[in-house]
Amino acid sequence: MNHPIVTVKSIHPNSTATYQYIDDGEPKRGGVKDVYFSPDRKYVVAIFRDKLDFNQKERLKKITTDYLNQIKQKDAGDYYLNEIYRWPTDIIEINGRTGVIVPIYNEKFFFKKGYSSNELIKGNEKNGKWFATSKFRNNQFPLKLDASELGDWLSYFQICVNITRGVKKMHQMGLAHSDLSYNNVLVDPVTKAANIIDLDGLVVHGVYPPEVVGTADFIAPEVLATKHLGKTDPNRKLPKRETDLHALAVLIYMYLLRRHPLKGGKVHDLDTEKDDLLSMGEKALFIENPSDPSNRPKLNQVSKWDLPWADIDKLPYGITGPYLKNLFDQAFITGLHNPILRPPADLWEQALLKTTDLMQPCRNPTCQEKWYVFDNTLSPMCPFCGTKHQGLLPVLDLYFEFKPTVWKPENHRLMVYHNQYLFQWHVNRNVVRNERLSAEEKVPVGYFTFHEGKWMLVNQKLNSLKDVSEGIDISVGSMVELSDGKKILLSKEDGGRLIYVSMANQV
Amino acid sequence: MRRLPVYFLLDTSGSMHGEPIQALNNALSGMINTLRADAQALDSLWISILTFDREVKELMPLTELVHFQLPEIICPQSGPTHTGKCLEALHEKIKVEIRRGNETQKGDWKPLVFLFTDGKPSDIQLYRDMVPKIKSLDLGALVGCAAGHLADDTLLKELTDTVVHLDSCDSTTLKTFFKWVSDTIEQGNKSQGTGERVALPDPPSEVIVVI
Repeated sequence: MNHPIVTVKSIHPNSTATYQYIDDGEPKRGGVKDVYFSPDRKYVVAIFRDKLDFNQKERLKKITTDYLNQIKQKDAGDYYLNEIYRWPTDIIEINGRTGVIVPIYNEKFFFKKGYSSNELIKGNEKNGKWFATSKFRNNQFPLKLDASELGDWLSYFQICVNITRGVKKMHQMGLAHSDLSYNNVLVDPVTKAANIIDLDGLVVHGVYPPEVVGTADFIAPEVLATKHLGKTDPNRKLPKRETDLHALAVLIYMYLLRRHPLKGGKVHDLDTEKDDLLSMGEKALFIENPSDPSNRPKLNQVSKWDLPWADIDKLPYGITGPYLKNLFDQAFITGLHNPILRPPADLWEQALLKTTDLMQPCRNPTCQEKWYVFDNTLSPMCPFCGTKHQGLLPVLDLYFEFKPTVWKPENHRLMVYHNQYLFQWHVNRNVVRNERLSAEEKVPVGYFTFHEGKWMLVNQKLNSLKDVSEGIDISVGSMVELSDGKKILLSKEDGGRLIYVSMANQV
Repeated sequence: MRRLPVYFLLDTSGSMHGEPIQALNNALSGMINTLRADAQALDSLWISILTFDREVKELMPLTELVHFQLPEIICPQSGPTHTGKCLEALHEKIKVEIRRGNETQKGDWKPLVFLFTDGKPSDIQLYRDMVPKIKSLDLGALVGCAAGHLADDTLLKELTDTVVHLDSCDSTTLKTFFKWVSDTIEQGNKSQGTGERVALPDPPSEVIVVI
């Protein structure tokens, strides 16, 4: 059947741009918009169902001009516009209704296979909910996702890093997303990508107020607790930067642990709706709060499909490592009802990245998650499949020169595995691991290898690598053994780090 | 784990015989497939189907969406429409099947009920007796759907404020309607406005809604 093609025109005064979409009568319905595809499927036209007021249109104009240009012109503009955001590029009007032009999602955000048993969702969008819910990776679940769609645990760290950078950038620009949720973040565990969508509701505190309170599961407790108050009531809390930070923490927790941090067993009211409002709002309580266990999930009441992730004894949040555990504590304990204490996006980014330095590949080839965070014990094992680490495990603690000859620990550790690379951001504390790294800085400077029964660091690019314990310079193309207690200087340059080697898993 | 229970009450009286029942089967199976492709629905939805003509049948007991297999809905060539009797059965089922919250266990979400009929109740006395009982059940939503030009809205309106009138029982109309039903079921998962919460999404433009 041939559907009519509709042509629409930009409403920017200086623009003559026109766009087209196919009106198939069955747009994808979002919360407030109907979404139509262009004939060449390069963009979508998302039309608001309700008429927008002056302020709402002004916001869209700003988003599609000033804010868009600001991202384009700053560092890593391409990264943000191509990899992280689906940023609206223009506004149109049709029959008194307003729409935005948004570039289409990359193909990787559509299921190639979907369910392992049928093709029902093949080609559908990879809404984040699929990957933040445990049942879809439970082998017993009849509609589980195909293993080829799921990625491994490390994939979700990169996904979370991408989401976190997207939030960080918006906050740096003075914007708040206001409706972060797995519906508005597409993820692809295969290529480890994430895309933040629905950016037309951005909030500028005091200028452009939020249109939505958010999506269930991600609305900050203070917003829910004051939902009953009028919009102009001074005590009413509406979405802003701090509520984004709650949603971000929930997203990260859910992508890594596949359960909701506040949905536990505690009953606040016998009425379901009231109970839900209280348990996500005024009385919200972290399910893993160590000093108040009253909201721990009751395993006899959770769906059998949600195991093992629903079991916080088997897979406690501590498996995400010390840096993230600390931030989850801030987000869900100290900052849960005190928004100002919620960790900002850049702290999440750094913690996620530092945690990947603590990861070890699981040596069980059938392990679903394939990676785990070193648990700081003498005999590490994979928390997902229970496989113990075999052999000596080098642990490198990074130190920086506090003042001449005095080196202090940086609370940054690097776990070594076979064929792991060493990068500039490990070597020098002036190189920050973020989206602004140059291509050159992303090239490894050395690698670790288990060679003839010994752990070695092979120098590929470091000009001043030195085995301080033995007093020997390690030139490019040669290697140094990692042994218990050894000190190795990675660089003599300003900001160069020293590593201290410990050997874990000694028998 | 909270379940979202959804009950479909489907008219299988004689007037549905032929094309309308085919269209209904088709639209329902489309809706189930839509829901089975929705991560949120798969996380919480439980569905039950009751049919009513002379008899009331529990065609599908309350079943988790992932296990739900849609049976073919058939109807006799003629016979009365015992809507009241079906409401009576629904009342019993809801009282038994819905988990109420208690001190130690969270309750189910309030059930949603969709009543689909193309005529008027033949057991009008029982129907009217059941109206207050159904209203007292504290449902999440009760949608009455009157399909075909013969269908009578006025009695449905005694039962619920949300009545959708479908002009015909053809395949396209029913598909649109059940798309709207799945939107309604999925509603809780969408972004919520800052104003008063709207209970139902905008109805499809092709049908007439009486509210």
